Amino acid sequence: MYGGTHGKIDLAIEYQAQIPILRPSIRARRANITVKFQDLYGFTVEGNVDDVNVLNEVREKVREQGRVWWSLEASKGVNWYLQTQSSTTLKFSVLVNGITLKRLIRKGIPPSLRPKVWFSLSGAAKKKSTVPESYYKDLTSAVQDKVTPATKQIDHDLPRTFPGHPWLDTPEGHATLRRVLVGYSFRDSDVGYCQGLNYVAALLLLVMKTEEDAFWMLAVLLEDVLVNDCYTNNLSGCHVEQRVFKDLLTKKCPRIAAHLEAMEFDVSLVCTEWFLCLFSKSLPSETTLRVWDVLFYEGAKALFNVALAIFKMNEEELLMAHHIGDVINIIQRTTHHLFDPDELLTVAFDKIGFMTTTTISKERKKQEPAVLAELDQRLRRLNSVNEDDK
Amino acid sequence: MASSGNKNINSKLVLLGDSGAGKSSLVLRFVKGQFIEFQESTIGAAFFSQTVAVNDTTVKFEIWDTAGQERYHSLAPMYYRGAAAAVIVYDITNQESFERAKNWVRELQAQGNSNTVMALAGNKADLIDARKVPEEATQTYAQENGLFFMETSAKTATNVNELFYEIAKRLPRLQPAPNPSGMVLVDNQSPSERAASASCCS
Ligand SMILES: Nc1nc2c(ncn2[C@@H]2O[C@H](COP(=O)(O)OP(=O)(O)OP(=O)(O)O)[C@@H](O)[C@H]2O)c(=O)[nH]1
Ligand SMILES: [Mg+2]
Repeated sequence: MYGGTHGKIDLAIEYQAQIPILRPSIRARRANITVKFQDLYGFTVEGNVDDVNVLNEVREKVREQGRVWWSLEASKGVNWYLQTQSSTTLKFSVLVNGITLKRLIRKGIPPSLRPKVWFSLSGAAKKKSTVPESYYKDLTSAVQDKVTPATKQIDHDLPRTFPGHPWLDTPEGHATLRRVLVGYSFRDSDVGYCQGLNYVAALLLLVMKTEEDAFWMLAVLLEDVLVNDCYTNNLSGCHVEQRVFKDLLTKKCPRIAAHLEAMEFDVSLVCTEWFLCLFSKSLPSETTLRVWDVLFYEGAKALFNVALAIFKMNEEELLMAHHIGDVINIIQRTTHHLFDPDELLTVAFDKIGFMTTTTISKERKKQEPAVLAELDQRLRRLNSVNEDDK
Repeated sequence: MASSGNKNINSKLVLLGDSGAGKSSLVLRFVKGQFIEFQESTIGAAFFSQTVAVNDTTVKFEIWDTAGQERYHSLAPMYYRGAAAAVIVYDITNQESFERAKNWVRELQAQGNSNTVMALAGNKADLIDARKVPEEATQTYAQENGLFFMETSAKTATNVNELFYEIAKRLPRLQPAPNPSGMVLVDNQSPSERAASASCCS
């Protein structure tokens, strides 16, 4: 355990796993052979030789992106991207930087810069700066021995969060994840703990390296980035997002939407997990984090773009599917093998077309009353069922 | 009807029950014949399929393995709507999980679809020393509520294939017609032999 110091998690270097360099000439013929290897963040991935080659290319692209970011720091100053945020100044250079930054982020933040860039651009730094320096330390030490329904569920889920991961699945990994989740459950007792947050927090830990920063990223995500009440009580926010998503699918991918509807396939069946785990259980790690790059800068609408893209990419195949199992198969095969983040993000942001945060907010407002009414009605029916029985 | 040869039917099956009761483990055992000590917690739901042969009929179960945490309850109707079968799972070492199982039974009964085959699975039967929910009382409860009841262990595989096979047998479309033209369900093969090859899609 790394005790009360809340220092850096020393994990990255150790398991910056080596992807085997395969000689395509020999192996290409055996492309259907599955190999197991560790990805950039230590997750075990199963894929074929093509997947390995894609991952190697992705690594090269990540390195290139790194060079782009470093040279920008050199020419514009170390924290140049922070200036794009000050809304009071309307200087031309600020505007230009803003456009550059958006484009740059969609192309990916290099893993080494991610902690710093996420922390400032998401608003986490600001959130942290409004409380005393010792907030996190005080919070976690004050609550570490408390037992609540939330802590019970958290304890139950620690070994069930990315089991087998070389750092998360160690006593130290469990203890760290526990402090973050338990700490948050006391910060916001309406949320407490919702299953799904364990995966999100775990991935935040792997990226941010310091648990305190991971905690603040979780806080900003739940309090400012995502739709309200995504994880509370009856997941009403998540229900709202599902409805908004269905409408968007009808608008942006009308053929798919009509086909699935004719099959009586409710897209929420597959999308719920995406919106609750923010793709961390569905997409390969670097692809997930590329989605989060955009999420933390542009907001929760990015999740809609990505979800729409996953359907869009499979349009022809989906239109030929006639069984629920086939639809799910197509979707899962795609998500699990999206090792090239650009393949997904290009569709998500270039092909799906523009959606503003204002449009999405309006859509949410429109859906909210219906969701609340439905949930309320269901609750009353349930209560009367249970009453009758007593 | 009896001589109509092979039939294939698709049946939607949903698993409901408390978090940690072992829903995913039961499905994994049934579909892939495996058990994993630390099974990832399910978010939303996961989909699997597996076929079971009952006499001349092949039943393809389309299985929805749902998330167990209380607040996921509000998502459940989407998964159990139109299900031909529901397996309600509790953990025999955890009384609370049994109370939640009873709530699920009530909720499904209130849906008013009497065609849904309902099964109650008391899982983790291998942990006999830690038992909190007595078997006999549960059997009585199950009978009173028209549930098919079995204690299972995803860990040791006890009664897992049997559970799904018994459900398949009870599906309305496999029941003899009210005026049977000679069709009898003969059970001369062990259930585990009948659980046919896996066709999981994960
Ligand atoms: N001893 C024993 N342990 C079991 C058995 N079935 C499941 N478990 C354990 O119980 C834990 C929870 O099992 P899951 O299958 O993930 O439970 P679940 O109902 O799917 O839980 P949620 O996905 O959170 O709703 C796992 O870590 C298993 O190792 C069993 O038959 N015997
Ligand atoms: Mg599960």
